[in-house]
Amino acid sequence: MRPSVIATDFVASIKTWSRSKGTLFWTLAFPIMLILIFGAIFSGIGETEYTLHIQDLDGSEMSRSFIESLNGTGAIKTKIVTSSENITSYIDENSIDRLVVIPKGYEETINKSFIDQNTSVNLSFYLDPGEQTSNQVVISVVSSVIQSFNMKLTGGRNIIGIEQISTIPEEFTFFDFFLPGMIGFTIMQTCVYGSIERNTKFRKDGILRKLLTTPITRTEWILSKMLFMLFLSFISTSLIIAVGIIVYGISVHITPLMIIIIIAASFLFSGLGMLIGRFVKDEETADTAGGAITFPMMFLAGTFFQLEMMPEFLQAFARVLPLYYVNEGLRNAMTYMNQSEAILNTIAVIIFASVFFIAGVLLTKWKED
Amino acid sequence: MIEKRFKCPDCGKVASHSGMPGEIKIIYCPYCGSKGRARLPELKHIEDLAIEVSGLRKIYGDLVAVNDISFSVKKGEIFAFLGPNGAGKTTTVEMIESIRQPTAGTIKLSGKDIKTHFNDIKKNIGVLPQEFHSFERLTVRETLVYFSKLYKKRADINKIIESMDLKSCEKTLYKNLSGGLRQRVGVAISLVNDPDIVFLDEPTTGLDPKARRDVWNVIAGLRDNGKTVFLTTHYMEEAEYLADHIAIIHRGKIIAEGSLNELIERYGHGSLLRIKRCKTDDAVKTLREKGFDASSEGNGNIAVKIDYKDRVLDVLSNLRHECIEYESIDIRRSNLEEIFLQLTGAKLTGEEIA
Repeated sequence: MRPSVIATDFVASIKTWSRSKGTLFWTLAFPIMLILIFGAIFSGIGETEYTLHIQDLDGSEMSRSFIESLNGTGAIKTKIVTSSENITSYIDENSIDRLVVIPKGYEETINKSFIDQNTSVNLSFYLDPGEQTSNQVVISVVSSVIQSFNMKLTGGRNIIGIEQISTIPEEFTFFDFFLPGMIGFTIMQTCVYGSIERNTKFRKDGILRKLLTTPITRTEWILSKMLFMLFLSFISTSLIIAVGIIVYGISVHITPLMIIIIIAASFLFSGLGMLIGRFVKDEETADTAGGAITFPMMFLAGTFFQLEMMPEFLQAFARVLPLYYVNEGLRNAMTYMNQSEAILNTIAVIIFASVFFIAGVLLTKWKED
Repeated sequence: MIEKRFKCPDCGKVASHSGMPGEIKIIYCPYCGSKGRARLPELKHIEDLAIEVSGLRKIYGDLVAVNDISFSVKKGEIFAFLGPNGAGKTTTVEMIESIRQPTAGTIKLSGKDIKTHFNDIKKNIGVLPQEFHSFERLTVRETLVYFSKLYKKRADINKIIESMDLKSCEKTLYKNLSGGLRQRVGVAISLVNDPDIVFLDEPTTGLDPKARRDVWNVIAGLRDNGKTVFLTTHYMEEAEYLADHIAIIHRGKIIAEGSLNELIERYGHGSLLRIKRCKTDDAVKTLREKGFDASSEGNGNIAVKIDYKDRVLDVLSNLRHECIEYESIDIRRSNLEEIFLQLTGAKLTGEEIA
């Protein structure tokens, strides 16, 4: 095996890829567009009235005045939660997105602060991090009301503040669920269609026949192409993660298991593409066959929606799809930090990858009949 | 006696001369009369063979695509494998290139069996596959550099670009090249390892006459640089213009083989003298009575088969003697199309003649 030959083919693949607007779009822009579109849908863009639940534990004149001021903005509709409710269970049971708790002693603390300038009071603001856009609107409204209270009371000194508390654990926000699925889906698309192209277009164009008559070996060719597929997988993954962090403020953990899953998934879906290209030799038909396999898998394997939302027989079916283990593995490895589950998912992905990639390599005919 | 074709340096036309192996002789161009010295090649020895094919067969189910063919190609010559589409040309050349597995037979390149030495052989052959399209988004230079780096032995890319007249488009993406330029790049790719044997599978199919002529000049240049060229084509003019040796394949069998002159001598009907717009009604009858193989082509045009060149003068003197007037004459030699038609009853385009 000659590394220089692998490097030559790898560089040529990158040049070819970077010069194709269509390929760049599908590899880089399309996943970002999907994230932004889904982000817009699931972040509640278009919501015209924002409901803010309020639990007033103080029950004082000042706290009531604060609630009235919030209502007075016209941007927020407040809903009072009785002071006897346990706030955590109330949020869970009623799927509350945003809730403010005015603590007991609110008025007293404010009065004290006129004497002791170091005294201040914090309102607890419970919110669902997944509702990024609507949260920003509500936070800015609440902050401006607090600001005007501070101005009225002290001429600008911050007596009242906000302490933000996540309503649900970080792992279960929609974006934390969606982002790894998007990575799995993008790797699948890139590798399946990349393999199909190599096995149909390159065959039709005589490139494979030409390479058979040169000293490049099958191993060198496969390795360079896999290196290129990995390059694309990591580029796409990095971009998706960057968009997730910048636009949606998601926190992602880069773990060794995540890297292993991305590598194994690249081999897995490249093998699947090889198998499609082996049995469907016409380029257009192979693309259609690729779509017929990847498109349903995208929906059924829990890329965009949680499996629990589907009927049980579909959930059982999803568990035989390789993309399901890639998505779940990435979620467990990079967001939920559930290492034991992540290891099981990784093993499943590696098994799928071994079967598909070895079958793809063995069954792909490099020579003509 | 052996025969050798040559290209006249003055008028550029291709002619042939014959003599003993190794003989040095004065030769004259039959078209412009230029004089020069040439040496005839030595007798063919095994070590002079670039390609040896013996008992080659390829069977797909019930279809015998290539049926027990044997031939050899001498080093330094252009060998044309001529036949209509579906005759078995590409199957044969792809078996020689080790792209397809033969059902039976042996193939040797430069004396080495391809079954056992193909990894070695690969280094010394250059291949332009049929309907080859390279990487669309690499420039001409990048494409040549890419294929060159697959080999240890590399030719000078700058020289290839220059000799193939690709300098003006070396920075152009392959997808933006014309059909003729793509084929020239294809030939250039086959030279990046400075190969001894170059296989060109239908290199001018689909090209316009000007582009085809450009590719022909490139191929002729390969022979001048000492390469052995194995060319498959279904264009008889291509084989006539380029080939030192021609094998005609039909339905998987080689039906004729030799130099152009040998084939015409063996299977052709010599030359055809055409007398145009003859002003005497019974001219055909008169010529036949004089022992000529004459036939009417309508509108007063007469065709007379000529076995050897002196017969032309005989025909013309007989016409004068009989006071038969005519507008003009032309003489045409048999060509490969006619030979193919005579041997198979079909045209080279594959069309059957009823």
